[in-house]
Amino acid sequence: MIFDSDWLTEYLDDAPDLDTLAERLTDCGCLVELRERGDGAEKWDVEVTTNRPDAMNHRGLAREAAVATGGTLLPLEFELEENDEDAAELAAVEIADGAACSRYVARVIRGVTVRESPEWMTRRLLNCGVRPINVVVDATNYVLLELGQPLHAFDLEKVRGRRIIVRPAVDGEKLTTLDGEERELDPSMLMIADGEGVVALAGIMGGADSEIGNDTTDVLLESAHFDALSVRRTARRLGMHTEASHRFERGTDPEMAAVACDRAAALIAELAGGRVCRGRIDVCPQPWQARRMEFSIAALSAFTGLEIPAERVLEILTGLEFAPQIDGDVVRVRVPSYRVDIDRIPDLYEEVIRHVGYGPIPSELPILPTSPGRRNPNWELIDRARDAAVSAGLVELMTWSFIDPETDELVATQPLCPGPSLPLDNPLAQTQAVMRRSLLPGLLVAANANFNKGQRSLAVFEQGRVFSLVDQRPLERERIAVLLADEAGGREERFDRLKGIVNDMAVRIGLPAVSWKRGGSPWLDEGAGAELQTADGATIGLAGILSRELAERWDLRHEVAVAELDIERATEPPLSKFRPLHRHPPVVVDVTIEHAADLSYADLEGAVGDLASEWVEDLSLTGRYRDENSLSGAVRTTLRLVYRHADRSLTQEEVNEAHERLRRGLVERLGVALA
Amino acid sequence: MGTTRLDKVRADFLTDLEQAGDDAEAVEKVRIKFAGRRSGLLLDLTAALRELPKEEKRDYGRALNELKTLINTKLAEVKVQANAATVATEPSSVDVTLPGTPVPRGAQHPVHIVRRRIEEIFLRMGYDVEAGPEAEDDWHNFEALNIPPDHPARDDQDTFYLPGGFLLRTHTSPVQARVMESRKPPIRIIVPGRVYRRDSDLRHSPMFHQIEGLLVDEGITFGNLKATLETFLHALFSDDVEVRLRPGYFPFTEPSAEVDISCIFCDRKGCGVCSGSGWIEILGSGMVDPRVFEAVGVDSERYTGFAFGLGLDRIAMLVYGIPDLRQLFAGDQRLTRQFA
Ligand SMILES: [Zn+2]
Repeated sequence: MIFDSDWLTEYLDDAPDLDTLAERLTDCGCLVELRERGDGAEKWDVEVTTNRPDAMNHRGLAREAAVATGGTLLPLEFELEENDEDAAELAAVEIADGAACSRYVARVIRGVTVRESPEWMTRRLLNCGVRPINVVVDATNYVLLELGQPLHAFDLEKVRGRRIIVRPAVDGEKLTTLDGEERELDPSMLMIADGEGVVALAGIMGGADSEIGNDTTDVLLESAHFDALSVRRTARRLGMHTEASHRFERGTDPEMAAVACDRAAALIAELAGGRVCRGRIDVCPQPWQARRMEFSIAALSAFTGLEIPAERVLEILTGLEFAPQIDGDVVRVRVPSYRVDIDRIPDLYEEVIRHVGYGPIPSELPILPTSPGRRNPNWELIDRARDAAVSAGLVELMTWSFIDPETDELVATQPLCPGPSLPLDNPLAQTQAVMRRSLLPGLLVAANANFNKGQRSLAVFEQGRVFSLVDQRPLERERIAVLLADEAGGREERFDRLKGIVNDMAVRIGLPAVSWKRGGSPWLDEGAGAELQTADGATIGLAGILSRELAERWDLRHEVAVAELDIERATEPPLSKFRPLHRHPPVVVDVTIEHAADLSYADLEGAVGDLASEWVEDLSLTGRYRDENSLSGAVRTTLRLVYRHADRSLTQEEVNEAHERLRRGLVERLGVALA
Repeated sequence: MGTTRLDKVRADFLTDLEQAGDDAEAVEKVRIKFAGRRSGLLLDLTAALRELPKEEKRDYGRALNELKTLINTKLAEVKVQANAATVATEPSSVDVTLPGTPVPRGAQHPVHIVRRRIEEIFLRMGYDVEAGPEAEDDWHNFEALNIPPDHPARDDQDTFYLPGGFLLRTHTSPVQARVMESRKPPIRIIVPGRVYRRDSDLRHSPMFHQIEGLLVDEGITFGNLKATLETFLHALFSDDVEVRLRPGYFPFTEPSAEVDISCIFCDRKGCGVCSGSGWIEILGSGMVDPRVFEAVGVDSERYTGFAFGLGLDRIAMLVYGIPDLRQLFAGDQRLTRQFA
């Protein structure tokens, strides 16, 4: 809220210089965020927290300032002259819903001349960001900024039947508010009605029909206390937020209604030349009752970690008008009507220590058992995945958790799709309307952006959660996804590189052993896509070259290889066990097999595994060559086998013999040729 | 008789090889003498096999094979060493100013680097690192934290709602409530994680990251909170950093404190980062409100505690000097590569 520094200091006896004042206010919890030059004063933007509606006005903030600077808050002084005409004869007030309106105070001012406000008043209003309208309306706004009480001025002539009824709206009722909008009302909303119909939204905004105009002579001034929840619900339903609703929602001072009504009536009479009729119309179904509380100074000191002398406690609470009484160690207080935020002992502690200042409180680390901290297994898992990706040379990206619904529909065709999608009820944008069910769309958007910025080579990953709606509940799963793009190299090299990275990551993450099965279409290219299946048949990943259709959809100018892994089935990899180092030399032998293209490497490797001698300790692929000229599309695969005996050197002859058996076995089982 | 000859050849070979040492030429001579394809001694020895009487053939054959393996293995080993020696003695012809082959390096996102640094600090102080759902229920995100429906504090945390009364958590604090519901004090946790608010402008992103801390035990004081935050901020930034607590408001703490550090860029002289104030607002904190304890079933008469929370993205921006929050989520690999 914006304050006028001159107005603020008006209520202070011995106000310090503005720099000191701003500093002290900040220290006690009213952060002076910005100071600007205004008209005849500084404009201060002070962050008054939501729980402190009492300080959202000049007198309220001045009260804080007085305590914070050790000064005195001057009393509010004004003179109200009444004439002999009885207000109660001119208007009547009735409250039909005492829970929503605990008090309604009204005054009548007659014979006003609606004109412009004097310069001093418009200057202050403008400094606080309020547009002057006319002297009557300005006076109500001025008192709002001064005392925090929202007021409303009706043209009494336009209040039909000269009656005010505070009641819930009736279905189908409508009101055109001061801003010119027609509002449809319902019974959940509290209204101000006159003898014939609705004239104002209680605590939010008045109606256009009873507005103060240039020809208004008689004014009915409303100063009420409305229930915070009631105002808040109505304002939210109507999508409205006004100076009045802002304060009522946070809680106004029930005792201020009468004072503010008098103050505004006096101002109007003074500035608009009217006469204030005798007496307040004051309907009060729920009189305010002071809350009394007590606390122990010893407990306060223990809670704070600082000995606070009783005198200081009393000084602060007196300044804040808590009327403290001390009895031994016990302090009894009466919570002022404007302090709607105070109802627990720590609330009182805070009042004291924020004015003592947090600075003097001694820092002392807590003493707790020396048990070491532990990380939740979920963090261990996702950081293991992150580290696996980083050690594979990948760079981490973060993209949005929400995606557009069209892309989300595509994810439904992914083998890893976790279930029905989880939409947002109130997205910020249509392109961010659904929670992601896959990490790939985010990486593809990123790939496009990186390509467009001239990056051609990409090796990136993202770790994060995907979401779905299963059995009416959100379901979250941890994933990791990889995207590779290279300037050089064909799709086989690209796939090969991807597979190497994914396999390495799977081991480091601790995923169960998987077999790579052709699949992943339509996300992956039919010729270069795979699904990763565990022994129990569950698909926990997909990896391959992104299909052409999707590459076009994301407008990718280079081919990309992608993979996504569901990492929740991982277990922490076991500690490595030492294996004895070999003392005897290995014998390394290659075997080259010529076979049809449809014999997969997995089958070939499986056969070699079955047929090889127990001396084979390692088997690896060293070459693969496709004979483009051969009509049969034959492939030559060279495998390297390492023979070794743990206890002795193998002779060449022994190895030759074993190797020959393997070669013959392969020919027999797979029908391949030896090259 | 045959095997004695083999023993002699073995001994000669080993002696010759030793004398040849690192000299590649000498080693090659040894190779030709023993394993040469046309006239090597091994050829003679193999030929001799045919001359032997049947009963000696088996032993001789085995011994010959062993000898062959030995000679071939030793020669291979020595050749490698000889090659190495040759390279070492050649005059240098390398342009040492060439850039070297780059090693491909991965990198974590700066937000995670910062998170792990912060986790490390608190793990050393005995805090557990906890996690919880991003799609939360209203109870844990709001009500248990003393933010009932229609509470004005909900205005400060514009919320994304999900079907079935769920929402995207607006802070990591719901995990506090979850932990207190399931565990008895003493509780000492931090909770990093992703959070969401329906807000987007230069300084706000609808998705960002927080880290939350909670300590609950008997006799925990405001002075304990102060010391813990100072210790943490000194470990994260530097011991020279000044820490300032000033009163603030959070629905789930009472009293509450906003925490500033002296500007790490201008040393309190005032600069663009601190908007000239010399201070940078870094975290929010306070003593746990007894209402929160009551909501989650912790005895508020017996226990006190403190809680604090800070924005990880903001810390990353501060630490690395990243000017725009939204750059963190733009997916540009050049950003992360800087932190490899
Ligand atoms: Zn600075």
